[in-house]
Amino acid sequence: MNREMLTRDIYGNIDSVSKVIFYILSAAALACCAAGIWHHVRRWRREGRPFGSPSSPAFDWKGIFSRFWTRVLSQTALRRGRVGAGWMHSLLFWGFAVLFLGTVLVSTEYYAATLLGRTAGDPLFHKGLYFAIFECVLDLAGLALIAGIVWFAIRRARGTSSMAHQGSDWLVIGLLISLGITGYCLEGGRIVLEQTPAPALSPVGYVCSLPIAAADPGPAVVGRMHRTFWWIHALLALGLVAIFPYSRLLHALAGTVRLMATPRALGSMEPISIEQVELAGFIGVDRLEHLTCLQRIELHACVACGRCQDVCPAHIAKKPLSPRDVVQDLRFQLDQWTRSADTNTDPGAVSQQSLCGAVIADETLWACTTCGACEDICPLDVGPLTFITDMRRFFVGDGRFRGAPAAALARMQRSGNPWGLPAEDRLNWAQDLDIRTAADGGDSDLLYWVGCAAAYDPNCQRIARSMVRLLQRANVPFTVLGNEERCTGDSARRMGDEFVFQELATRNIETLHRYGIKKIVTHCPHCLNSLRNDYPQFGGLFDVVHHSELLLDLIETGRLPIDGSDLFNHSAAIRATYHDPCYLARIQRISQPPRQVLDHLLTHGHLSERIEMARHGRETACCGGGGGRMWFDDTPSDRIGIDRFDEVVATGADTVAVGCPFCKIMFHDAASDRGSSIQVRDIAELLAEKILQ
Amino acid sequence: MKILVPIKRVPDPDHRIRVDLQRIALELSDVPHIINPFDANALEEAVRIREGPVPDAEIIAIGIGDPAWQQELRTSLAMGADRAIHVGVSGPPDPWNVARILRAITERESPDLVLMGKQAVDDDSNQAGQFVAGLLGWPQATFVSQIEFIPLDPEPSIAGHQLRVARETDTGIETIRLRLPAVITADLRLNEPRYAALPAILKAKRKPIETIPLTELNIELSPRVERIALQEVSSSRKCQYVQSVDELLDQLFLNRCL
Repeated sequence: MNREMLTRDIYGNIDSVSKVIFYILSAAALACCAAGIWHHVRRWRREGRPFGSPSSPAFDWKGIFSRFWTRVLSQTALRRGRVGAGWMHSLLFWGFAVLFLGTVLVSTEYYAATLLGRTAGDPLFHKGLYFAIFECVLDLAGLALIAGIVWFAIRRARGTSSMAHQGSDWLVIGLLISLGITGYCLEGGRIVLEQTPAPALSPVGYVCSLPIAAADPGPAVVGRMHRTFWWIHALLALGLVAIFPYSRLLHALAGTVRLMATPRALGSMEPISIEQVELAGFIGVDRLEHLTCLQRIELHACVACGRCQDVCPAHIAKKPLSPRDVVQDLRFQLDQWTRSADTNTDPGAVSQQSLCGAVIADETLWACTTCGACEDICPLDVGPLTFITDMRRFFVGDGRFRGAPAAALARMQRSGNPWGLPAEDRLNWAQDLDIRTAADGGDSDLLYWVGCAAAYDPNCQRIARSMVRLLQRANVPFTVLGNEERCTGDSARRMGDEFVFQELATRNIETLHRYGIKKIVTHCPHCLNSLRNDYPQFGGLFDVVHHSELLLDLIETGRLPIDGSDLFNHSAAIRATYHDPCYLARIQRISQPPRQVLDHLLTHGHLSERIEMARHGRETACCGGGGGRMWFDDTPSDRIGIDRFDEVVATGADTVAVGCPFCKIMFHDAASDRGSSIQVRDIAELLAEKILQ
Repeated sequence: MKILVPIKRVPDPDHRIRVDLQRIALELSDVPHIINPFDANALEEAVRIREGPVPDAEIIAIGIGDPAWQQELRTSLAMGADRAIHVGVSGPPDPWNVARILRAITERESPDLVLMGKQAVDDDSNQAGQFVAGLLGWPQATFVSQIEFIPLDPEPSIAGHQLRVARETDTGIETIRLRLPAVITADLRLNEPRYAALPAILKAKRKPIETIPLTELNIELSPRVERIALQEVSSSRKCQYVQSVDELLDQLFLNRCL
């Protein structure tokens, strides 16, 4: 076959009057789109945030482009959690992207050829092999687009997903479906009309051409039919362009910008200085202007897919919190603002309604355990948790916080621990253990960070006692800070009291520096996250490991031998399941070492079985104790995370192994509430039981 | 309307307090201090009165003690007091002398309401409020768990009664009406005090604390209470499990508890 013949006429069968009308309508649609985008950008760019580092970070072009590839085009994050919807969106996205690119290429060909004075039928590059591939790929892309959008239409009609719905969503879906269908009809008409060579290169278009060819109504009718389809297709496409910034389609722009920007680091928060607060007169976020530019873009990136709501432990526990609704309620405010006539560009202008307590209810803000599930699951890297902690900062700073959790904050400030107990009691758990504090001249380079829970809570003191005895058995020299240790301030920071946190953090860093501590081991994932993610912001750079990592290393290097493979003594053996703490598995991505420690116990007959729960690793579910929720005095059956305890019990295990004192306390309470006899033990306790019996 | 809220600085009740037997005093140097919780309730209520029925209310926090008390007065300002008065004395006087000082301040400021904690959690005297009311000849409502402003009633027998308050008594909740000016002492159930975080404390820096030396009030402290001895309560306890109620009774009897 002559490859030179392989081409088609662009704008074939479209007369010049139609073209002029089409250009006028295109200009109108583009203007409508541009105006909408401009209105959004105007609000995105409004500077009103008196905190944080200057908002002009150096542009990391390389990172931005690599993220365009790895995070936008690949659509990987989308397929986590919802595999079906993820693939369907990928098909829709890739199909749309290819068709859009195809349209751009066709336009390039047309205008370039016209500029060079070429005639129709003598294309520049739209011919031959390129044309063959082009036709085939675009034809299949249309199929991908239709498959994806039809799947979404069905899902929406069935209403089984936690996706939020608004009327205009049907408009978008309808436009996309009809755009795809009319595209094929148009192509079918064109194939018959122009007798395009090798029509099977566009299989779907070819199939659409067959009934027309079979009916053979004559070229005039086919021409009219083609023109009609062309116009419908064109109008639908222009309609889509015009409504783009006014519908959820905006997420394509906002989401792309968000994904190309710096990825969110789970578990870290922006530091705010006293000077900034003195200057501003407040802290945190109460108005849309107080958000960062990127946060406002995030509000428009959110399509309310509800993935965050599905994984939110507070939502599951029927607390009045849905991360999806937090973002969507803020977005609604932003859209109101965008529609308003406010043209003030004064950075200090306060034009918006108060958000804290008005748009987002107090109970919503305080239902969050800061487990990070919402931010981790979001395919567009939107940060509901960050909105919540930002507003908590305002709420606390504004003096509206009260009750038991406020008392815990006051105790952290006064006594250096949320229990409010004296610092001199911090080592009471170790009275009969021969350990040295850094002040006693313990000169080891390893510090065991005990944390407040293990220092004061009788149930958690066993974790520390087991840990110390294991370290002693392995002949690992270590010190503790003893009376000089203070709460890391993790929950103070996550409850929004930045300055109680900073006071505690700077004091701890000063103490750690004074003793020249470089390496820290802790059994508390909250302390771990604070030491790893929070303290470097204040000059505290330490090498911090979770005790499961150290214990595993000691076992595997033979320093902590698990003796006597006692495989036959199954009567004493334990059926255990391991619960991943959020701050360990999701935020610090440590989920294997604790399991490996348990598996060593399994091989040595101390465990008879290790059962895995459905929600594990990064997908774990919160016990309900994080983000300051530990200090709220709701009854155990109303607590967030009681469903997680039920999941633990449903495994049939007789012991739940944990790696976090908060999980231990929450599960312990839940067990008494549910009347369950399940044992809640830290991995260090289980290991010590076997090794030191 | 002017509301006077006396604030006492007390040792944090969560902490262990040692007795200095030589000085017959408490060893408080390492112990953190807080606003007496009942005083915090009183202050919170004053702020709520200003936020609610009486928007133009002026709230004045009073501290009577050494310069360290300024810290609690700062916190009071952060919680919502408009200004503070610090009466400089070397240590907290006994309730009678506190009441005398408060009378002097009341005569200077002529407030409509003295709203204070029912007692301080350090000495648990529960006298100052009653003494102040007696010295001023004002009506008083103690152990109050609810305060309500009511419209002035034209009926002569209760004319001028502006407040309806609920008192927590041993036999139940007693509701009474009060005429202003009056003294009200707060119970814990009155409200939940707000938490003063740093931004509020920073804002409160601009609010004034006036320091008045005792001499300016023409008061000679003449204590009516003399502290004779202090004894540390033993914290060691003997625990044992018993198997039955009979055994429990036997043990209680043996240990001279019955």
